[in-house]
Amino acid sequence: MSIFDSFAISASALTAERLRLDLISNNIANINSTGRPNDPAQEPYRRKVPVFAQMLKRVQAGDGVRYGFRGAGVKMAAVLEDNSPPRLVHDPDHPHAGERGFVAYPDINIVREMVDAMTATRAYEANVTALNAAKDIALQALEIGR
Amino acid sequence: MGIFSDAAITGLKKGLDAAGLRHRVMADNIANVNTPRFKKSTVVFESLLQKALDEAPVRMAVADYRHFGGGTDLAGVRPVVMRSKATSMRTDGNNVDIDQEMAALAVNTIRYRALSTDLREHYALLSLAITGRG
Repeated sequence: MSIFDSFAISASALTAERLRLDLISNNIANINSTGRPNDPAQEPYRRKVPVFAQMLKRVQAGDGVRYGFRGAGVKMAAVLEDNSPPRLVHDPDHPHAGERGFVAYPDINIVREMVDAMTATRAYEANVTALNAAKDIALQALEIGR
Repeated sequence: MGIFSDAAITGLKKGLDAAGLRHRVMADNIANVNTPRFKKSTVVFESLLQKALDEAPVRMAVADYRHFGGGTDLAGVRPVVMRSKATSMRTDGNNVDIDQEMAALAVNTIRYRALSTDLREHYALLSLAITGRG
């Protein structure tokens, strides 16, 4: 069903962008989640990075895809961890301070996170517009029989 | 040619079908605006329909299904989905131009409205002809 497919496509993008925004919020919330340097048991928080991937409609034998279009929206294929080394801050009184008085902070750049959050919000808005347009089209189609 | 399959109704139905497909394709493009290496698709339809309409007057009579009628049959016009692989908008290989997509989305919605209104008017005329009252 062509029109209901477009609802599902836009909805998949809304889900993915919202999850991305959740990850960004989580990164910002954990900007001060410290760890002890060189101690694998007490690692600092690692920045989470979403990986988006195109979703394609599965084609079964004998089930022809109309007009050869298989696009079915977007999905978050994976959530990876940023492997950049932690930021070391000298604070000997901190409970996580290592032997030389350094504390490991996660390598989170607040400016980058805010820019990502704005990108995700704008993409979300674009998909809401597409969803509303689909609604408009579907309602308009119902008017044909009036 | 029946009353429900004249050139106007056939063309309008094809147009609505193509607008629905185009909306689906654009929704997919917008959904993948942040997907690395995604390449956008577009729907080609109006030029094909115009070609079929231009060629319609020179069609030849067909007495057998193996005969060539010449020209393109209006009922046989189908929208075609094209993927543009050559361009890139950003360094991640994605080529969705969000401004272009949103503008085309608005145009497509209005086009769908126009076509559906036209089809409704057409059926209203048929209804008037059948019943004698509007």
